[in-house]
Amino acid sequence: MVTTHARPRPKPARRITSLEVFCAIIVLALIFSGRLSQLLDGPGVRTGATVFVAVCVQALPFLVLGVTLSGLIAAYVPPGVFRRLLPANPLAAVPVAGLAGVALPGCECASVPVARRLMQQGVPAAAALTFLLAAPAVNPVVLAATAVAFPGQPRMVVARFLGSLGTAVVMGWLWARFGRVEWFAERVRRMTGRGDRPRWQVFTETARHDLAEAGGFLVLGGLTSAALNVLVPPSVVDTLAGQLVLGVLVMALLAVVLALCSEADAFVAASLSMLPLLPRLVFLVVGPAVDVKLYALQAGTFGRRFASRFAPATFVVAVVCALAAGLLVFGPSSWGAVR
Amino acid sequence: MRRETQNVLLVLLGGAILKIAVNGQYLRYVKPALQPWLILAGAATVGYAAIGILQDLRRDGRPAGHGGAAHDHVHDHGSRSPWLLLLPALAIFLVAPPALGADKVARSGDRSVVTQPAAGGTALFTPLPAEEAPLLRMSDAVTRAVWDDSGTLDGRQIRVVGFVVRMPDGSVDLARLVIGCCAADAQPVKVRLQGGDLGGYPSDTWLEARGEITPHTATEANGYVPAFVVSAVREVPAPAEPYDS
Repeated sequence: MVTTHARPRPKPARRITSLEVFCAIIVLALIFSGRLSQLLDGPGVRTGATVFVAVCVQALPFLVLGVTLSGLIAAYVPPGVFRRLLPANPLAAVPVAGLAGVALPGCECASVPVARRLMQQGVPAAAALTFLLAAPAVNPVVLAATAVAFPGQPRMVVARFLGSLGTAVVMGWLWARFGRVEWFAERVRRMTGRGDRPRWQVFTETARHDLAEAGGFLVLGGLTSAALNVLVPPSVVDTLAGQLVLGVLVMALLAVVLALCSEADAFVAASLSMLPLLPRLVFLVVGPAVDVKLYALQAGTFGRRFASRFAPATFVVAVVCALAAGLLVFGPSSWGAVR
Repeated sequence: MRRETQNVLLVLLGGAILKIAVNGQYLRYVKPALQPWLILAGAATVGYAAIGILQDLRRDGRPAGHGGAAHDHVHDHGSRSPWLLLLPALAIFLVAPPALGADKVARSGDRSVVTQPAAGGTALFTPLPAEEAPLLRMSDAVTRAVWDDSGTLDGRQIRVVGFVVRMPDGSVDLARLVIGCCAADAQPVKVRLQGGDLGGYPSDTWLEARGEITPHTATEANGYVPAFVVSAVREVPAPAEPYDS
């Protein structure tokens, strides 16, 4: 009987706001919660729902870490500090920013809001984007996880570090040469002043706002990843043994659609023991740099025009860098043996 | 979207995370080690939103457009993305998806996951406990079956706990899922049950099986799934921590 009254009634002075819509959704969801559970009762749907919630639950602490750092930078770091720390020449600033990624032990969800804040603090976009790509892949937590997943193969850790750092630096240089500021959404280009508000208010308000915005896109990425996780049969990998080119391609695409956390992907790669090391290295280098969850986050944070150019370019660069790192670390035999 | 709605959504989401972190339900989705971070993240999410709400309440008395309030309103109207925060919050409060089970294992095909041994060497395994039928973690039992050349499992009765998976070809497996980070990267580790009376147990029933692993049955060809000759099974409640690590 509540539902019959939830219909919008015309009111003379006031429009329906999102708050009323929100209440209506909650009431409807509570009334139909039994029906909702029934709807989700197919085994495939249930698996998808669990994966979806798992991705969101797993990513939230990292996102909160990211927006907290972002808020702290906005409130307490005077504009220009990071720019002065970096070399003035953008070509030199890019590798420095890449190595700085070692200092943020988190996964990709944390680095997106931080990279955006760095840009608004006056860091050149090329350096900030390099940091964005490097931080989730080359930090100590991820490298340690890789070492644990591939015991007795320390070369895998070295190759992953080189491949990921290479991807980040090359993308930074490419951006310095070809990137355009107008690809960013207007909100990114605007330098945020502190105004006359106290610092702690700037901090909490920035963090709160970033969390609400980026969180929504994170959920979108989680939905996509959960759907693909259920729909893409893992058996596609089984048919790839001995086919290097196809193996590299499929593993690169799998890294994009599965959107695994960079701290866990090494364990998945290690388990695909029917594949040679090279395609698995590609999986590890592509995953933290570009995947569906990250694309959603980037589109939400920097704008769709940016993400639709940046993500495909990153994909190509990451595959090439992974292959180069593999050739360098594993030697030419890693190519010849399976060809 | 209005600031007020954003704040309510954040409180709801943070509350949902806090709830599952405290009542243990988070173990269906992530590893135990994440619990303190979930509590911190949930509290921070609620906290940021609560500060926002308090500031709005204090501003209400003043004329509109004063300070940052007007600016924030314009700023926040542009995006609809925070609406999506409702989905995980509602999923947790109303649906509470269960831990992954037989469906995920069946989707992974005929494959089991074992850690790779050190290249070129035999991994070192400690002897099994001296008791008659020691309880082993599923991943431990399977890793031994695959990589242990010293034969610590040969001729020994062991017990393993897992859930039943009825494979399309009619065979019955006892499986656990191993997660590295969250349920999205879950991978099965399992044994193929042979003998014993298994007719009555549907998929996803948790069992403790006692029996013996047949040596050299876990090969690359069968996806490293060893044969487990059952001498006794009993139904057990699903463990609080459903995933193997």
